[in-house]
Amino acid sequence: MAHWLSQPLSWTTAAVFLASAVAMLLVVLLFVTYAIYFERKVIGWIQLRRGPNRVGPYGLLQSVADVLKLLVKEDVIPDRADRTLFILAPVIAFVPAFAVLAVLPFTETLHFADLGVGLLYYVAVSGITTLGILLGGWASNNKYALLGGMRSVAQMISYEIPLVISVIGVVLLAGSLNLKEIVAAQSGGFWNWFFLKQILGFAVFVVAALAELNRTPFDLPEAESELVAGYHVEYSGFRFAFFMLAEYVYVFAMSALATVLFLGGWHPPIESLGFVPGLVWFALKFAFCVFFLFWLRATMPRVRVDQLMTFAWKVLLPLALLNLFLTALVKELVA
Amino acid sequence: MTAGISGEFVAFFLLSLITLGGAVFMLSFTRVVHMVVALAFSFLGLAGLYVMLEAEFVAFSQVLIYAGAVSILMLFGIMLTRHDVDEEEQDRRRRHRTFAFVAVLALFVALFKGIVALVPAGEGKLAEANTLEIGKALFTKYVIPFELVSVLLLVALVGAIVLARKEGHDA
Repeated sequence: MAHWLSQPLSWTTAAVFLASAVAMLLVVLLFVTYAIYFERKVIGWIQLRRGPNRVGPYGLLQSVADVLKLLVKEDVIPDRADRTLFILAPVIAFVPAFAVLAVLPFTETLHFADLGVGLLYYVAVSGITTLGILLGGWASNNKYALLGGMRSVAQMISYEIPLVISVIGVVLLAGSLNLKEIVAAQSGGFWNWFFLKQILGFAVFVVAALAELNRTPFDLPEAESELVAGYHVEYSGFRFAFFMLAEYVYVFAMSALATVLFLGGWHPPIESLGFVPGLVWFALKFAFCVFFLFWLRATMPRVRVDQLMTFAWKVLLPLALLNLFLTALVKELVA
Repeated sequence: MTAGISGEFVAFFLLSLITLGGAVFMLSFTRVVHMVVALAFSFLGLAGLYVMLEAEFVAFSQVLIYAGAVSILMLFGIMLTRHDVDEEEQDRRRRHRTFAFVAVLALFVALFKGIVALVPAGEGKLAEANTLEIGKALFTKYVIPFELVSVLLLVALVGAIVLARKEGHDA
């Protein structure tokens, strides 16, 4: 990929970029399909159920059937809704979700844009999804959708701040915002991975990332018992599918980001295991992150809405700042 | 640029179109929420223009702060307050327009003069270590203005909290 990226733009390189983007989209769609299957199986297993097991062998085609059902469903746009924004909102929510994948490096050679400010790009672009969610909630002209949208946005903005500040510790240690260089700074065994040196930052990152993804225990925007379904109550068919897709693509992106920032990316845990290809290590760590999300969903109850904001501003933010301060101090004294 | 239409030109054209189109739509829409969305597109187009100028850090700060945070903040403010499509008197509007045109012209002249005076003749290498250079400049040459700005922001933050609290006690 680096070979293609360094060449001047011509029709050939443009075609290669387009083809690789389409390939990435297919990989992500495959991931989303089987992440949903996997999630239902894992939760079923934890709750002593069987999970999906009817469609196809072991229920493997369940998600495919679900997607087909969504696509052929009638597309309903409420009469009193703001039509343009109602149509635009799922697009605004999904496009950034796919765009953030452009800067994530999967191995030394397999990556897309090698951006100098990769981490900043991720944080900045992912923030635009929030706009789509808020617009979707507002355009539906439904009080539950609006309430869900507002909750979601308030939560995502509040937790974005500790998320970003917890990551700055990693940037300080690696001395770069480039994700490839951040991974390169973690080479030579698992004791060099940043989740050990940045244990406080990692803890804040995990909690804030969960809240950013709107996943249990922070799935308040979709609290069925209080809000029907949240910001996408009025959506059906493939527009609803777009919101769901955006959510699961963020699961992909956030797990990959956690792997890159804290778990050493494609580096093996011990130097002598270097004969296993980097992509395998990346996939293993990535799969662990995804499993961790599903595991939490089956285990934790939902946080109360009044505790949510207090927790972000009074616990996570000071902790993230403390982590930043300590990192700067240690770096100044030791190095 | 002798080759006529280059990729850079096309990109510049598209991004300018998004920026200016967003701005024009912002002025012509009647519902405030639509205006903010148009404004967000304008911000995004500007970020794209910054990328073309090899100012990556500024570009993504623009996306983070303006396209993301400021737009959402505005939307929040609008949604929490009541807004109907308000029709002003035509007479007042016309006078407003003349004033607005003069003010905008004055602002344009001032900004244009300032920008022309600011741009140095030589070409710098911006693409490499963009963030590093900005950081160095901020913490050496511009450290006092930088710290002053941060104090100003802190004062604004504390002031906002004090104002909000007072209102809460009255209610």
